[in-house]
Amino acid sequence: MLSQAITEKVLQAALGTGGDFAEIFVEDKTSSSLNMIGGIVEKALSGRDFGVGIRIFKGFFSVYAYTNDGSEANLIKVAHNASQAISGKGQGNILDLRNSVMPNAHEIKIMPSSISKKQKIAWMRRAHTAAMGYDPVITQTNISFVDYVQNVLIANSEGVYTTDIRSRNRLAISAMATKDNEKETGFMGPGYFGGLEFMEQLDIEAYAQEAARSAKTILHASFAPSGKFPVVINNGFGGVLFHEACGHGLEATSVAYKTSIFADKLERMVASPLVTAYDDGMISNAWGSLNMDDEGMATQRNLLIENGRLKGYLIDKLGGRRMGMNPTGSSRRESYRYAPTSRMNNTYLMGGQSTPEEIIASTEFGIFAKYLGGGSVNTATGDYNFNVREAYVIRQGKVAEAVKGATLIGNGMNTLQKIDMVGNNLKHEIGMCGSSSGTVPVTVGQPMLRVSELTVGGRKED
Amino acid sequence: MNIQEFKSLLFAKGREQGFADMEIFYVASKSTTVSVLNQEVKSYVIAEDGGVSFRGIYHTQMGYSYTEKIDEESIEFLVTEAKENAQIIEMDDQEELFSGAEHYAIIQRYTEAVAKVSPQELIAAAYAMENAALTFNPLVKTVIQCSVAKSEGETLIENTKGLHCYEAYTNISAGVYLMASDGQQTATGGEYDFTLKDFSKLNVKKIAETAAQEAISKLNVDSIETGNYPIVFRYDAATQLLGSFASILSGEVVEKGFSRLQGKIGEKVGGHNITLLDDPLMEDIPGGATFDAEGYPTQKVSLIKEGTLLSFMHNRKTAKKAGTQSTGNAGKSGYNGTVSVAPHNLYLQPGQESLQDLISSTHQGILIVELQGTNAGINAISGDFSLSAIGFLIEEGRLGRGINQITVSGNLYEILHQIQGIANDLQIKSNISSPSIKVKSLTIAGK
Repeated sequence: MLSQAITEKVLQAALGTGGDFAEIFVEDKTSSSLNMIGGIVEKALSGRDFGVGIRIFKGFFSVYAYTNDGSEANLIKVAHNASQAISGKGQGNILDLRNSVMPNAHEIKIMPSSISKKQKIAWMRRAHTAAMGYDPVITQTNISFVDYVQNVLIANSEGVYTTDIRSRNRLAISAMATKDNEKETGFMGPGYFGGLEFMEQLDIEAYAQEAARSAKTILHASFAPSGKFPVVINNGFGGVLFHEACGHGLEATSVAYKTSIFADKLERMVASPLVTAYDDGMISNAWGSLNMDDEGMATQRNLLIENGRLKGYLIDKLGGRRMGMNPTGSSRRESYRYAPTSRMNNTYLMGGQSTPEEIIASTEFGIFAKYLGGGSVNTATGDYNFNVREAYVIRQGKVAEAVKGATLIGNGMNTLQKIDMVGNNLKHEIGMCGSSSGTVPVTVGQPMLRVSELTVGGRKED
Repeated sequence: MNIQEFKSLLFAKGREQGFADMEIFYVASKSTTVSVLNQEVKSYVIAEDGGVSFRGIYHTQMGYSYTEKIDEESIEFLVTEAKENAQIIEMDDQEELFSGAEHYAIIQRYTEAVAKVSPQELIAAAYAMENAALTFNPLVKTVIQCSVAKSEGETLIENTKGLHCYEAYTNISAGVYLMASDGQQTATGGEYDFTLKDFSKLNVKKIAETAAQEAISKLNVDSIETGNYPIVFRYDAATQLLGSFASILSGEVVEKGFSRLQGKIGEKVGGHNITLLDDPLMEDIPGGATFDAEGYPTQKVSLIKEGTLLSFMHNRKTAKKAGTQSTGNAGKSGYNGTVSVAPHNLYLQPGQESLQDLISSTHQGILIVELQGTNAGINAISGDFSLSAIGFLIEEGRLGRGINQITVSGNLYEILHQIQGIANDLQIKSNISSPSIKVKSLTIAGK
């Protein structure tokens, strides 16, 4: 993508005003997205993204510049212009670039370009047919399929010169149920870090039927009650609770500037002793995994919280400088348009001792949040919120009627301390996470767990 | 290779491959963003990017592709991919490219003086903004983000039917996000503003002080009892709410059956005080435009007038299906999107009263100043929402203590009939804007 010789010249230009670190990130990505509404293919788009990002540090100061023009002359110009933001003297040092090959731990068996669009549409149509066939109440579907292959080259003045290839694909199934003027949707969106072998093995019908079932359930559900109750959060995407309530607050992006409630709390109890959590970028072919992060460092399994005690943060190079700590292989960016920063990969809470049945049975009254939507957090205050798509009321230890339209809110550390039961059924699910370095694929995971008290924002008219 | 050479080669290659009419949508932009921390430059970002969207009619269908690399190799990619994409589209409505209009309005969106503002001036403004925030009140502890950005760019749409639309813009924006603490509680506040024309009019001191005041006012807060309350949404929270539901007025969304406004043209969909407009022809607004993503001339459109639904937003394709004319609302999320429908400058027409009047007329209620989780807590199809909120108690017409850890929930379609007051405080800082509004009653979940 860019020869060692040119890379070296660009890094030289970047360090021409005394910067102490320079990095180059080249991205060449091809993608395809298909959209089918009501069984008819309505949109098909293919694209090629190409750009180069150049980053320079001097101490805690960073300059970032990016361009679509990857010619040698332009890159040297861009690097030179960027270096002008640093007012030092002398030439920064560049170690010999070593062409390091990091074997890909996440196999790509079938490249997306080797499968015809017709085949991709056939997969989508199976989802449409299965969802529509689930029940007459299902009146519309919206199915999309996206795949991409991102080739990157990452090199820096510390001698790194390496390439990586990342391939992901995702089938998003939305089923709509209608009754009179009311419309509700159910959603399932399985995805994979790897090739299209995933789609060949996927039980598409099961996912489509589940989206349809969820839509039908929500359509017939009444509004959730409002107030403070015990909340049982289902395994899988329930992990968005930890992602918002805690994960973001452990990123160097806020910890390094002491604008996180978790700053300066290493080795302190920040959660219930039942909580042990990791962020692991190495899980084979998991949606949020990477062979190497966007600074060229191998991903690793980072212990965040052990039995309630804070054990680690997620750290990128620049954040690490400020914190005086080593990077954790967690530096990510959506594309060359963003300077990378500390982000989550696959974040999850470890399984505990309770069975799901025990958790429900020991709850006299509360809410069972089966499927969660997205959420957000203010890392400075720790206040977070997330949306519940499908929920049930728990009465006398039994799952009772379905309810809809609730948002759960709380404060990160407070909620982590109120986790009073943790199930033995850890499960990971996929999502997209937006933050300062763009939107990146992540997985969230958790076993079923119970929070003794959470504010449930329903809309029951009483 | 410049864009005109690229276009000629691309269209020639397309013709050779069997395309009838073809179009390019080219966007290029440059920007410089400086962020400061503790009176030192924290980061400096220089961006130069752009790309070309290609679309063309192959047999009867429109095929799309895009690239960010303007070179020979990409021409092959664009044509091959667009052709493949056209071949799999299954819609029976035939799309046509637009050959251009005789008349386009003129609005000035590019200012030489703004383009010439130096990085040093941006840095100086950022320092001044941070300083104003930190010295405003000792309760302001940390400025989390303090940035000033300058950008300029151009858009070109040309096709084989003779369309030629070109527009350039400049913009400088300044934003600050900070944290206040009284030792017990922590709160954040943010504010931003922009100018297309005159850097000296960007009042960074005022931006900083507004953000600082906002954060400080949110200290010493507590939740409240669950129940139903009259709610005043301050203009910024009202803007968040309106923005979350703007899609229900899109002709595309309506046609797919994802809007409950489907089939309601000419009917009352809100109170008499509700008038919603999309006006791209105003000066000095972020969403200003004289042509849309299809090169169609834009216009001021009344979507809802005094509670009656008059029109949806349309591009040429959705208009044809609905048996009407395009409203000039073809949208494209940059060159890497396909043509859809989007507002340029959608706003709720302001009323006569001040925000203070809305508060004074409320006996027991809540003023909401911030909504969170609009990425998830909104169901645009059903109109239901449940959102985390921050605000203040209103007691006997006066603002009381701050409130956090509550959610506000309701249904947008119902709210349109229950707005008791609309303030005169409309500020246009984005593509969708609302003045402050007062709603009769909504459910609050708290303690």
